Amino acid sequence: MPMRPPLRRAALLAAALVCCEPLSAQPPRSEESPAARPVPTSTAAQDFAPEVIAAGRTRFVANCGFCHGPDATGGSGGTDLTRSELVATDTRGDRIAPLVRAGRAEAGMPAFPTLAETDLTAIVAFVHDQKSKAEAAVGGRRSVEVADVLTGDARAGRQYFESSCTSCHSVSGDLAGIASRVEGLALLRRMLYPTGTGGVAARRPTATVTMRDGTVVTGEVASRDEFTIAVIEADGRYRSWPTDRVSVAIDDPLQAHVEQLASYTDETMHDVLAYLHTLR
Amino acid sequence: MKHAPIFLAVAALGTAVHAQPDSWSTYHGDYSGRRHSALTQVTTDNVHTLALAWAFQTNLTQQVKSTPILVDGIVYLTAPDNLWAIDARSGRQIWRYQHPPNDAFHIGHRGVAVHGSSVFLTTPDAHLLSFDRFSGKLNWNVEIADSARGFWSTNAPLVIREHVIVGVSGDFDNLPGTLRAFDPATGAAQWTFYSTPPAGTPDPLSGGATGGQMWMTGTYDAELNLLYVGTGNPTPVLNGASRPGDNKWTCSIVALDPDTGELEWGFQISPHDTHDWDASEVPVLVDAKFGGADRKLLLQASRNGYYVVLDRTTGENLLTTPFAALNWSLGVDAKGQPIPNPAKEPARDGRLVAPDEVGATNYRSPSFDPATGLLIVSAADAYGVYFFKPEHGEYGWAGADYGVHSRGELRALDYATGAVRWRHDLHGGAGAAGVLTTASGLTFTGDSANSALALRTADGTTLWHAGVGRVGNSPVTYELDGRQYVLIGGGSALYAFALPEPR
Repeated sequence: MPMRPPLRRAALLAAALVCCEPLSAQPPRSEESPAARPVPTSTAAQDFAPEVIAAGRTRFVANCGFCHGPDATGGSGGTDLTRSELVATDTRGDRIAPLVRAGRAEAGMPAFPTLAETDLTAIVAFVHDQKSKAEAAVGGRRSVEVADVLTGDARAGRQYFESSCTSCHSVSGDLAGIASRVEGLALLRRMLYPTGTGGVAARRPTATVTMRDGTVVTGEVASRDEFTIAVIEADGRYRSWPTDRVSVAIDDPLQAHVEQLASYTDETMHDVLAYLHTLR
Repeated sequence: MKHAPIFLAVAALGTAVHAQPDSWSTYHGDYSGRRHSALTQVTTDNVHTLALAWAFQTNLTQQVKSTPILVDGIVYLTAPDNLWAIDARSGRQIWRYQHPPNDAFHIGHRGVAVHGSSVFLTTPDAHLLSFDRFSGKLNWNVEIADSARGFWSTNAPLVIREHVIVGVSGDFDNLPGTLRAFDPATGAAQWTFYSTPPAGTPDPLSGGATGGQMWMTGTYDAELNLLYVGTGNPTPVLNGASRPGDNKWTCSIVALDPDTGELEWGFQISPHDTHDWDASEVPVLVDAKFGGADRKLLLQASRNGYYVVLDRTTGENLLTTPFAALNWSLGVDAKGQPIPNPAKEPARDGRLVAPDEVGATNYRSPSFDPATGLLIVSAADAYGVYFFKPEHGEYGWAGADYGVHSRGELRALDYATGAVRWRHDLHGGAGAAGVLTTASGLTFTGDSANSALALRTADGTTLWHAGVGRVGNSPVTYELDGRQYVLIGGGSALYAFALPEPR
């Protein structure tokens, strides 16, 4: 059994302690924005040999480091993996490995289907090691705390909300208690442009496709470009057509968010966020 | 659409390397950066019959991002740690070089340079290698910069006479902006240009900034003997407080003497950048009328959302105008430089900024079409939120930013005014494909979905497409055995298209 550095031993002990706490003591979490929360604690003890971790650093930096940062705390475009819920709930790669193999095309993450098993194991070890270090550390190079973003005036935000957002949203309906589910940076990002897991729009547009014989099909847009329109009908059936053979009308409920981006000031943005934070 | 003769046929640039019909011998095809070919076999009338001639599978996970270089019937294609020599007639591999595993970033690679019987390759661990281009035998291997300090290289070198000019990257560490020249025969170092000073060398212009890496291939005017290179963003990246002032020469276009590396002039397009907006985009050299007079111009559609026109003899600014959504400046000053709005610097509570980190455009090449006077650019209207607080420190990224939304569009800019003459929806976020134009009035590129595209240059109408997967490089074209080929990357493969052969 190789020697463990003291830091890792301490982190493992901490992880073990947290595991014994009731889950209700944990603050609510969401997938959207790891940087808005404290570092989530690993749910399973992670134990890797130092030489595997060292090999993992090399493979991680080369394959993952530009986007996720050479130390896994976030780089150009990619998330801080030490604050990732998925990493926190991973056991020896059971969640990380399939994601690395498949990629997240919608979020711009490439797939690594041919990565050697030993390399992937080493990458998993390195990420967990970095995470253990982050759990023990204070602050964070790219951290954004909930209090950081709460600089707006909730009353002004409410006025803005009631004049600009209520045609689609309701504080007693879809947004009831929103701040109990998502807060801080995660809520800000969702407010600006709602994304679901993997960076995909939270609500896909719907398409009404009219064929030459007059038949009309309506469904959620599965994909859409200049040449092909594909929808998923209510019964789950996938259908696609060349765009030059049909006429297509798109209803995108998120288009209003895109238009809003050009009209927000930083002040109104923070005001609306402050108001949404009162919805608990 | 009528093409008024406002545009004198672009005069010979006086360059030693022209876009030769039977080759694509350097990253941009020639020294001008126009990425325009004189070939006319594929036309607006027959392009719809364009068909696959061959495909080359890299069998890598990575997308093909490099420009294939073609000389004497051999295509040279790269990916990080990889160089293939490929038969341009059949798509078969002739030889392959694989660099030993190393722990530098493997984010992408741009391509090679060719000089005589040598081919030059940069590597992720910031070395420059020379090979015999027929056998693949290694001639020499020299270090450009120390990768242990955080340098890496994706650069396609530029050969000017007896100088192989190479740049490096390095945004995650506070490193001096470094461009170097080496002897093509021996690999001996010739000169180094620093856009920001190395440690221990005071420089009143930088304001304490490092960075300004020159990771993209420059352009060259042989008549003026000037090399033009775009410089990257300053470091620390998002922490502007630690590096007061304009931070020259980051986010700039610099004109250098290729024989000495000395600075002739510089123009900074993002003074005191705090948003990662490298000015690395191609400085396109065009000889044309501006304000009624024939001028030697330099055009750049820059990552910060501004299109600039400079007089490339003196660096004098002639035009600065937005070509995409931007909200970070207070306008343009008398010298033609945007004035950054301090309220849009990254802050503790976050600032909503257009464009986002990826930018209004990025390194993928634009193309200039002399017949229409259009600079065709892959553009994006994009928003991000930017954070910085003192706890983020003064090293490397030093802050946090998140993309919010991006919409990509190919835009055709009038070179003299920057006015958008047409737009073509790319059906997704910022495009990953560069642009090629041909003298037959065609524009080749890729969309943000799944397709390679051929458009009519005059108006942006789609004339051909192929679902090859997402295009991640800038297309090239050449003629071989009397047949015009168009090479375009799709996913991790390279595709060669040509008109069907007569039966």
